Amino acid sequence: MLSFSRKIDKTAFRALEKHLILAYSTSSEPQREEEFRVLNLKHVKGQTVQRRSVRKAEIQPPRTTQMPVDQDWGNVWPGPRSFHPATVPLPIRQGYTPTGVAPGKYANAELMKIPNFLHLTPPVIKRQCEALKKFCTPWPKALDSDEKCERFFPLEVASSDYCHSSPTIRDPLARIVSVKFKLGVLGLEGRAKDKFLRLVGERYDEQTDIVTIVTDRCPLKKQNYDYAMYLITALYHESLNVEPWEELKSEADMEVYIWENNASKTSIEALFGKEAKEIENVEQYSQAVVRYMNEGENQYTVEQYGDAVRKILNLPPVPR
Amino acid sequence: MIKSGTFKSLLRRHKNVLHFCQLSSAAQPQSDPKSHSFRTDENDPLKHTLDHVGQYYRVPQNECKVYLYGGLPKSYEIQTKTFNETCLMVRKPSVDIINCLKGLDYTKPAVRFVLFGKKGSGKSLTMAHVLHYAQKAGFLLVHVPWLGNWMRNPKELSSSETREGFYDLNLDAAAWLVHFKSQNEHLLSAPELKTTREHVWSKRESTPKDSSLLELIDHGINRLKYASECVLALAEELKQLTKAGNCKTLVAIDGFNAFFYPKTRVFKEKKEVVPPNKITLTEAFLSLTKFDWNNAAIVVTVDEIAIAEEDHKSHFPRYLLGKEGFEHLDPFVPVFVDAYSPKELTSCMDYYRERKWVRYFPQQDEELASLSAYNPYKLMKLCISL
Repeated sequence: MLSFSRKIDKTAFRALEKHLILAYSTSSEPQREEEFRVLNLKHVKGQTVQRRSVRKAEIQPPRTTQMPVDQDWGNVWPGPRSFHPATVPLPIRQGYTPTGVAPGKYANAELMKIPNFLHLTPPVIKRQCEALKKFCTPWPKALDSDEKCERFFPLEVASSDYCHSSPTIRDPLARIVSVKFKLGVLGLEGRAKDKFLRLVGERYDEQTDIVTIVTDRCPLKKQNYDYAMYLITALYHESLNVEPWEELKSEADMEVYIWENNASKTSIEALFGKEAKEIENVEQYSQAVVRYMNEGENQYTVEQYGDAVRKILNLPPVPR
Repeated sequence: MIKSGTFKSLLRRHKNVLHFCQLSSAAQPQSDPKSHSFRTDENDPLKHTLDHVGQYYRVPQNECKVYLYGGLPKSYEIQTKTFNETCLMVRKPSVDIINCLKGLDYTKPAVRFVLFGKKGSGKSLTMAHVLHYAQKAGFLLVHVPWLGNWMRNPKELSSSETREGFYDLNLDAAAWLVHFKSQNEHLLSAPELKTTREHVWSKRESTPKDSSLLELIDHGINRLKYASECVLALAEELKQLTKAGNCKTLVAIDGFNAFFYPKTRVFKEKKEVVPPNKITLTEAFLSLTKFDWNNAAIVVTVDEIAIAEEDHKSHFPRYLLGKEGFEHLDPFVPVFVDAYSPKELTSCMDYYRERKWVRYFPQQDEELASLSAYNPYKLMKLCISL
């Protein structure tokens, strides 16, 4: 009974509802423009902007394809420039890939990194030398050999001039002056030479006997040159000069072993009871000791020393 | 069939017995000159020449105990005990020195020989051979078996009573005096070996002039306190007597460079290192190795093992002796002790095989030669396990 009445209620309500909605929809027709606009973030539908089509630049074929065989390369590549694949008509490869061959010349950064000498081909150099020739003076006829050059011009001065297009015409590297000369031409002997070598230090090359002095502390080339000349003069006179403290040099300060100053001589004199000069075979012995001390210890120097001692002491030689 | 089988087994057994007999007899000294070219019958070092190089000769057991006491390296000594005989190989350096000693003019100042060579090349054994020769040739032996024992491993240290700042190794000194006495027993009883001056030890003790050297030595042995002083006095007396022509002396010091190596292992109470020139014994033996006396010869070895391990850099005499040591010995005759020659190596292996110490297998010598690089000590070590 109860459930039946409920059912009736429900159906009645629905009918009423329908009716109401109908009534509302008909009445709201003129108010549509004032509807609250919904913010829709997901899909903004608007006018699509017309994209401008990218106009591709027209790529020329590589210049190498149009090069004649007998062209003048000096005009194609007139100055120093980093590598350009389309200009160099050579099938060059450079670089490394784990598999396959080395990359070719196109889009190859490795080829652009390394310096090239494409502007200095032999015909170009020849042409440039020819052009410079009219500015040169003839070589002195009397200086026909290297020995003469070295004898009359013992000093070799080198500096650089720089010429390039930049706002300033001065290059800081142009101030550096290097002076070279052979130590032999100074005519220093013994103690003076030793002192000179100690003063110049690593500027002396033992193999070639050349002293190199590089000056760069003054701002101008002329000043640096004058300073180098001053240095050579000062070094020369200073090494000839004997300071009082130099006389204090003792055996321990010696750079080489000198037999005459050492205990070896006194002991051999005491052993024989006479002057070193009068002893037989002393020359060989002293030389052996000097070599033993100066050349360092090895099988050969020890054997030489042993042989010399046996000779001076009159002992039988080593059985071989 | 059965018969022959039993016979074979019998024969085999018999062979085994034979083999066993050989083994047991191998331990006994035997000599068969024909079959053993690695051995020489010439057991007298006076007659050793270059012809004997690479051959072993036997040192009589009684002589070995007295004259070579401490002169053989420990490992070699153990091996001689195993072999039941002491055999030394005649090698070129020792023959060279013996040859020089024979031809020396003993009126001239003493000649110094310095044995040098790499570790384990046989410097000490060369010295032992020279010692044996010197003993046979009637030299008075002043032999320090191994200087490292004093400088690296001293028994006891006390400050010297007579010298300011000096230190005594009295136990070692007394032990050395005993060694010296036993080595030279037969010579020391000679009547001309008398002290040349009076030695005063303390208020009550003194050794008068013209007393025999034996008395002096006995005093050092009995009164430990004066042992180091006694060695000094003995060195002085020996020099005087040798100069006077009463005896011929051979000074042999093994590991001589330890006298010039500042980092000793001799420590004072406060663990301060005592340098060798502050030890009284050093003074005695440095004085004995000078050339200011005649009728004597000096043989020393310079050895890396005598100094601390961090300084084992070179085996050459100038490095090991240092400037001071070189100047002390200069002019000396350097004698290089090389590794084995192929002939010496074969001879050594033959000797080991004869002693039944190693068993033969083909190409054994070649393999051992390359493994040991011809170094005698390394070869000995390798053969222990064979």
